[in-house]
Amino acid sequence: MSIEKVILEAKNIQSDRLKNINFTLHEGEIITLIGPSGAGKSSLLMLLNRLEDPNEGTIHYLGKDINEYPLEQLRKRIGMVFQSSSLFEGSVEDNLKFGPSLFDEWKPERGKELLEVVQLPKEYLDKNVEELSGGEQQRIAFARTLANKPEILLLDEVTSALDVKNVELIERFLKEIVPNQVKAMMMVTHDIEQAKRLGNRTFFMNNEEIVEQGRTSQVLEAPKTNTLQAFLKE
Amino acid sequence: MAPEISNVSMFFLVFFVLIPVSLSYFYALGLSKSIFWSSFRGVTQLFLIGYVLTYLFSLEPLTGISIMLTVMIVVAALHASKKGQGIPFVRSITFLVIVLIEIFVLVMWLGFDMISFQPDQVIPMSGMVIGNSMVAIGLALERMKSEFKEGKGKIIAALALGAKPEQASKILVRKIVKASMIPNVDGLKTIGLVQLPGMMTGLILGGVAPIEAIRYQIVISLSIFASVSLSAMLVTVIFYRFFFNKNQQMIQMKES
Ligand SMILES: Nc1ncnc2c1ncn2[C@@H]1O[C@H](COP(=O)(O)OP(=O)(O)OP(=O)(O)O)[C@@H](O)[C@H]1O
Ligand SMILES: [Mg+2]
Repeated sequence: MSIEKVILEAKNIQSDRLKNINFTLHEGEIITLIGPSGAGKSSLLMLLNRLEDPNEGTIHYLGKDINEYPLEQLRKRIGMVFQSSSLFEGSVEDNLKFGPSLFDEWKPERGKELLEVVQLPKEYLDKNVEELSGGEQQRIAFARTLANKPEILLLDEVTSALDVKNVELIERFLKEIVPNQVKAMMMVTHDIEQAKRLGNRTFFMNNEEIVEQGRTSQVLEAPKTNTLQAFLKE
Repeated sequence: MAPEISNVSMFFLVFFVLIPVSLSYFYALGLSKSIFWSSFRGVTQLFLIGYVLTYLFSLEPLTGISIMLTVMIVVAALHASKKGQGIPFVRSITFLVIVLIEIFVLVMWLGFDMISFQPDQVIPMSGMVIGNSMVAIGLALERMKSEFKEGKGKIIAALALGAKPEQASKILVRKIVKASMIPNVDGLKTIGLVQLPGMMTGLILGGVAPIEAIRYQIVISLSIFASVSLSAMLVTVIFYRFFFNKNQQMIQMKES
């Protein structure tokens, strides 16, 4: 058994919407998060880049408490993509350069590279985001987050509004970017098959808690708790 | 001397009131009572303000102007800040913003000798600026609340990219300031072609030559434009911070 490097560690987290959260995220790994609506999946992700703070407990990123990082740096290094693509008004390029410009790191050639990663033609740079299809918008949202060169990616139901083709495309490039561009990833999904396809480990959340966690195959094929068994049957 | 409208002539305005009243009666709109009441109230208010202004104009310029400006600014601040219920310090900050704007226009007007420090000039001109700023601030506050609610996903996305609240808000603030300017930009384009602006109309009726009247109109129109854009800008750059906590997280605004 190889000893993988821990990059994120949450200990005894209690918040308004979460109880007893304990887990580690290792380098090179994809964790998929599943669970019923309102279980606290999004709330958990938001704690990791400090879009929210817990009442108790600690989260360490690369061995250091996340509260010790400058907030902007932490959020840059732990990137997040959301369900509704939440693009800003303006052109594709305006969106792609938003993050890097905050840190004076934008170079115009970056735009084309990023579009290539999400498999869109470079002519798209000048397009207004409103002219794009839902799938294209979501890919731009990905590219916008990748523009910051994050080390960890947090994804919240990023494919739930997309058709099969876009889902396939996004899954393929997610597999490509971990661990080459991004060290690790945590993704919330309501699609159990997707959790299987992408996850190395899977967490099942219910009622503000992580009820089961382990290797994806174990958690999903041999659920221990009745709640997870019932959830998987639905 | 300006031509006067006699009491007898004024009396025949009743016909103007009777038209909406009879329409209300004919179409069973049930508005007769409120038409009478609002007409009566409006007329009374105007007569009262006529007397108040006459009195204020007779005082020392500084006294008359101070009294009237204070009243106008307080009323405007109270009214505008209603639209921002739930935002901390909204009343006092709105008050200060209007005071700032009034000082700014007064400095311009008096400094460049556009008008003189007389109640009959300063009060009506200030009234127009304060009234328009009041509306602009109310709209900006209202838009701000709705934009921060509807645009919450965008703000959170911006924060998640490493933006500070100020930078994240910019995407919405731009929209709000722009929206506040557009009616003025449009209004200035057709000014005088469709409708003679109220102030100019008044001056012309009062016997001022049109070529003089337009000078006042230009001063007031541009002053209003400047104050309205400034109000919206100040309101948004001051108030955005109340939508965030010190850890650069969005906070839930209480519904009003
Ligand atoms: N902004 C908020 N203010 C107050 N309560 C909230 C807020 N957002 C979510 N909640 C509550 O917190 C709990 C956890 O919500 P969360 O969004 O984390 O669940 P989720 O697992 O992501 O659900 P879904 O699958 O529907 O996205 C729910 O009970 C929800 O109602
Ligand atoms: Mg969620």
